[in-house]
Amino acid sequence: MDSNEIYTTALNNALDEMRKVCPDIQHAFIYNENSELIAGDAETPQKVTTRVIDAFDDILERAEAIGGVEAITINGDMGTVKLYHFNEHYLVAVYSAKAEVGYVDTIVRVLVPTVLKVLEKLSPTPLKNVAEPKPEPLGLEKPQEGELTEKPVEKLPAESKPEAEPSLASEKLQEPSPLEVPAVQLIVENIGGLLVPSDTVRVDSETLSSWENAFEGKKIEYVEIETFNGKTARYKVKPIKDSKYTGKGVVQIPEKVQLALEIKKGELVKVKPVIE
Amino acid sequence: MTRKKKDAEEIVAEPMALEEAAIPSAPTTTDKLKASLEELKGYEGVIGYILRNSTSAAIDLKDPSKLIEYAILSSSALEAGEELSETFNLGLVKSILVEGKEVKVLSFTVGENKVSIFMEKNTDPEKILKRLGQF
Repeated sequence: MDSNEIYTTALNNALDEMRKVCPDIQHAFIYNENSELIAGDAETPQKVTTRVIDAFDDILERAEAIGGVEAITINGDMGTVKLYHFNEHYLVAVYSAKAEVGYVDTIVRVLVPTVLKVLEKLSPTPLKNVAEPKPEPLGLEKPQEGELTEKPVEKLPAESKPEAEPSLASEKLQEPSPLEVPAVQLIVENIGGLLVPSDTVRVDSETLSSWENAFEGKKIEYVEIETFNGKTARYKVKPIKDSKYTGKGVVQIPEKVQLALEIKKGELVKVKPVIE
Repeated sequence: MTRKKKDAEEIVAEPMALEEAAIPSAPTTTDKLKASLEELKGYEGVIGYILRNSTSAAIDLKDPSKLIEYAILSSSALEAGEELSETFNLGLVKSILVEGKEVKVLSFTVGENKVSIFMEKNTDPEKILKRLGQF
């Protein structure tokens, strides 16, 4: 068992114990600042963890104005999702409405940082690496022996935290993918709302899934848009939220981007996924 | 028979229209919400709020230089709340609390109104939620 495995096993055990003590915790997983999943329960599929990490990332990226995030709580009438920030790690816990919030909070805030501190003391270097999580559905690559500092290419845009990446990892991230997925032609649609991010377009989730399948489950975070005037640009991509556009072959593009690309609603553009 | 029914509907419809016209200045939920937020602004630790709906937005922050950052953060929090509630079947999102190292943001939705209240780190958001309990 290498240091990464010890590290992951310890955190998985901590999560298991946490769930034994608080059976109302339905899901729990830990990821690091590079959005790499480190430990998690078997019941949470990788697609779900990715979606959750993405959703929290949107807040974390914009939280500089409040000095960075310590915790985020989403309180619904049937349950709660809570993200805890411990140094370089984030723990996400989902618990039912009947859970004793104070108790769960105490357990998480005592147990997880303690385990992380012990692991840091025992083996400081692997804390920065991704280890193979125990559950099968999470499906991250197992690092090879001797490659402990190498980061799997599974996910994340290189520009998210380039300074934190070891050189081997950055080299690997910049390699173009050998897989080619043809561009799809989609109709331009506006994005409604007051605060629309000007760097993000929205594509049907089915199209995104088919691209992800073509790229062996890799998350599509960027797309390249090519207009029929030959203008191309790269944007972040998210699934379309408005159900009325589902399956309609549209790409929702912010007005600023439409102006920049000299296109407007109703026109056709070519959209293709970008894998870094 | 059909004619009679139609007449009855017409008779019922008229007084309702008159009733609506008689109380044009009744405060809407948005007005009430805005009034409560104005009051909350005076509470210790509360540093401002953003109230927006599809037609208008009211923003009041002690430090206006952070207006855009706060507005984007508020929007992201509400969006993430909806997305995660759907993912984990959390039902109706009651509130979203983002605890920053310096500031806390409490966001929630009342009808079509999206509200974010910004407060200093040590402020108790439960008190704020209680005060807004009527919504």
